[in-house]
Amino acid sequence: MMGEKVLLARVGRADSRSIGTYVADGGYKALRTVLTGGWTPEKLTDEVKKSGLRGRGGAGFPTGVKWTFVPKDNKGKPVYLLCNADESEPGTFKDRLLMEEDPHQVIEGIILSSFAIKCRSAYIYIRGEFYLGARILNKAIEEAYAKGFLGENILGSGYALDLTVHRGAGAYICGEETGLIESLEGKRGQPRIKPPFPAVWGVFGAPTIVNNVETLACVVHIVNRGAEWFAKIGRNEKNSGPKLYCLSGAVNRPGVYEAPMGLQMKELLFGADFGQGMKGGKKVKAVIPGGASAAMLTAEEIEDCPLDFDGLVAKKSMLGSAAIVVMNEDTCIVEAAQNLSKFFAHESCGQCTPCREGTPWLHKVLTRIEEGRGRLEDIDLLERISNQMANGMTICVFADAAIAPVLSSVGKFRDEFRYHVENKRCLVGPRSDDARPSTLNPQLVAS
Amino acid sequence: MSDNKPPITPGGGGAIPGPAAGAAPPSPPPPPPKDTFTVLFDGKPIEVPKHVNLIEAAKLAGIEIPHFCFHPRLSVVGQCRMCLVEIEGIPKIQAACTTPLKEGLSVKTTTEKVVQSRAANMEFLLINHPLDCPICDQAGECKLQDNSFGYGDQRSRYDEKKRQYAGFDRTLIGPHVIADMTRCIQCTRCIRFCQEIAGTGELTFLDRGGRTLVWTHDGKPLSNDWSACAADVCPVGALTTREFRFRSRVWYLEKTKSVCPGCNIGCNISIENRDFTVYRFLPRLNPAVNDYWLCDYGRFLSESLNLCEVEKATAREGDSVSELHVPAAVQKIAASIRGASPSDVFFLGSAHLSNEENFLLRKIADQIGCANRDAVVDRSRARKMKSKSEWIEGDHAGANFAGAKDMGMSPGAGGYGLEEVLSGKAKPAVIVAADAAFSQIADDPEKVAVLRRAKFLAVAARTANALTRAADVLLPASSLAEKEGTFTNVQGRVQKFERAFLPRPPARAHWELLLLLAVALGFGDRDWTPQDLRRQIQAEVEGYDEVTEEELSGGILMKKGTFVSVGAI
Repeated sequence: MMGEKVLLARVGRADSRSIGTYVADGGYKALRTVLTGGWTPEKLTDEVKKSGLRGRGGAGFPTGVKWTFVPKDNKGKPVYLLCNADESEPGTFKDRLLMEEDPHQVIEGIILSSFAIKCRSAYIYIRGEFYLGARILNKAIEEAYAKGFLGENILGSGYALDLTVHRGAGAYICGEETGLIESLEGKRGQPRIKPPFPAVWGVFGAPTIVNNVETLACVVHIVNRGAEWFAKIGRNEKNSGPKLYCLSGAVNRPGVYEAPMGLQMKELLFGADFGQGMKGGKKVKAVIPGGASAAMLTAEEIEDCPLDFDGLVAKKSMLGSAAIVVMNEDTCIVEAAQNLSKFFAHESCGQCTPCREGTPWLHKVLTRIEEGRGRLEDIDLLERISNQMANGMTICVFADAAIAPVLSSVGKFRDEFRYHVENKRCLVGPRSDDARPSTLNPQLVAS
Repeated sequence: MSDNKPPITPGGGGAIPGPAAGAAPPSPPPPPPKDTFTVLFDGKPIEVPKHVNLIEAAKLAGIEIPHFCFHPRLSVVGQCRMCLVEIEGIPKIQAACTTPLKEGLSVKTTTEKVVQSRAANMEFLLINHPLDCPICDQAGECKLQDNSFGYGDQRSRYDEKKRQYAGFDRTLIGPHVIADMTRCIQCTRCIRFCQEIAGTGELTFLDRGGRTLVWTHDGKPLSNDWSACAADVCPVGALTTREFRFRSRVWYLEKTKSVCPGCNIGCNISIENRDFTVYRFLPRLNPAVNDYWLCDYGRFLSESLNLCEVEKATAREGDSVSELHVPAAVQKIAASIRGASPSDVFFLGSAHLSNEENFLLRKIADQIGCANRDAVVDRSRARKMKSKSEWIEGDHAGANFAGAKDMGMSPGAGGYGLEEVLSGKAKPAVIVAADAAFSQIADDPEKVAVLRRAKFLAVAARTANALTRAADVLLPASSLAEKEGTFTNVQGRVQKFERAFLPRPPARAHWELLLLLAVALGFGDRDWTPQDLRRQIQAEVEGYDEVTEEELSGGILMKKGTFVSVGAI
């Protein structure tokens, strides 16, 4: 069931990017309510807490609670709000849509959230590849300044905020909040040791809150329609609000879909308003529910699988950035795992030993199996390498993300790995749709 | 790790006042106002200072936490992941170096999880390491080697191709340092040294993930004044010095506590020697002077200690120069001194000589009633050294000018100094220069010609210059490595250096030559040692009364200051 569109309500409308249509559609009303309606930052924070809004970037941490972590006495230091628009998780493309199609919704969310944490200077850290998004945002920010929604004395309230777009240079790890902060400071994108957490010691050594684009956009609607309205949307109070799902892979209609939190996976894949079933009527083999760093689910596991934070934790996976990647029966799981491991080997920042050395090792072993040079003990080896990389072995959770696809694919599709090793080819037959140069051992191809 | 093996960890941070003896009683807790925490290591409580790192605190408890990236003077980055421990109350394993100390913290260093994570880390570190210890200069002082022995699994399940760094191996990246990235473990100690201590930041990480490597920015050279310290802090063989590379296996080298002769900062060094040859200087920890560091200029003076140009005692008769025994040469000098009026004798000390030697020279002058004595020093390029808390600056070309002056090597009442001699105002008949290399004046033909006007010119030397060529009697002297003594540095700190090996006969230490002269002139005891001379200095020289032998053997004493205890590096 589709439900009312909230975050995507204006997507598809003519000239949706301009401030004129945004204001005409009731935009910046929330800002007016808060700044001229006598709201205090504490009231706004409480409202967001009550709404049950949880971070849409991946970890699902309650946003209002996060805001309260800014020290009451920050010793004269400024407070910063960073909008995490790095959107680097493979399979994720929801923030891009929000920024490119309805930039003012995001900006209004940023202004409101900045007010809540008493921030005077906010940044949008946007991934370098989103050139169009950066241009659109910059134009929208100019318009907002011109209309007095940004800058000094916003709407005559005395509140001032500056907003700057900062383009990243292309690293997955800069989506991790402390990596993002380091990158924004002009350093290598390497996650920091926590504690201290960014809310205490963030960008430029000042208290900093990092929120995802979609999270910030939600704040606008919480103000406009109330925390109770927001909390009622969704499966339960802990998994509330409208949610954007990025559906990709072997379905008929991939795309970004908005639905109340807790949408059933089957509904997303097969519903008439969503994926409209598998392409060519093929069977589902595996689904990645939350981007590359979430554990794969099998076809059996997606039965009764609500797509929300707790629903997926129950399945030992995670909602992550709600990037649902569907693989059909023709997909070679070994190749999929190899592909994912290549990504993580490429993106490890390289500071911690287990991740720096472990991610390429996983990739090399998976490549060997994929190319028909695997040994049966390699399957156990993959699990053993994975298990000694994560769970506190490293500074950030990148290693935990990197091993999720490996452990889940080896654990759930062990027979396929075994088949690959024993028969030196895929269970699903030769690759047909592969335009890349074959990585197969030429000798094996010849035989 | 066997107990008698030297600790892998360099130093424990100078600020730690000695190992806290024994363990504090487990309970009751001590009274509230205290500057220590009670921390439990594997259930054993110990009092540790509040400001130390957990790794250092463990060391105080006698527990070694293996590590690579942690260094007491560099920022904590927690990225080698070798120091993982379990902390009670935290489910995940934690890096010890990044865990703040607090009261009652309970650290577990021997659990199965810890042992496994250490082995896992060693496996990860070694999968792409070339394991070329047999041809690696770091072997024997390599943390990777030590930790692999101590905590590794000795086996590897890695069966892939090892990483290569074409173009980034065996490359000179500055005047002294050779980088070989195949051995690098990406601990960033060298990067942090250049950023945080030298303040020059030549080194950086390039690329990321498994391809991460340490190199210089834009190929600019690693050429700060302390560049070889980057090789010191490198726990593996990735950075080595051009000068020491392939010269000796480190386990053959003996270490002798010494003081750098380069300038008046007086950095504490360790002379590493074997078979009467000095192979290198390494910094010796002294938080109040040079901390863990040593400048390149001083470090590479090591080779100069092996230079010996004056091997025999010689005497000049007209134009002919003949060899003779050292005692006979000393007798000749004594005879000349006795034959001249005391006011016609001039004694020249040196900023390169120890306090004991300058003191003895002054005593000789006093003995014959001569007030004509002096010591001078050349100004060098200003040098800087980062102690634990501040920059110390020095600009003398000799290490002990302050000491020479303290010992009285200045003109006495009615006497004259070098300036008067060189300007021709004073015309001594006998000149005794205790060190031919006292200044660049000694290699200036015009100035040496002025000195040569004396009827008799006696010189002790190790290297040849214009002065030695002009000498009537030339005595073969020793290098810094071949004698014992003390220097007084720019802070007024009296620091002892020890003898690494005996001088090659007939050369003798300067103090020995001077003692021979003293005896020949009828005072002193042939059996005096530098230690006896120090006792006399303590008795006679103002400000040196606090210098006791026991304290000096610790290496350091502040003149009229407080004693600073230091651990061995």
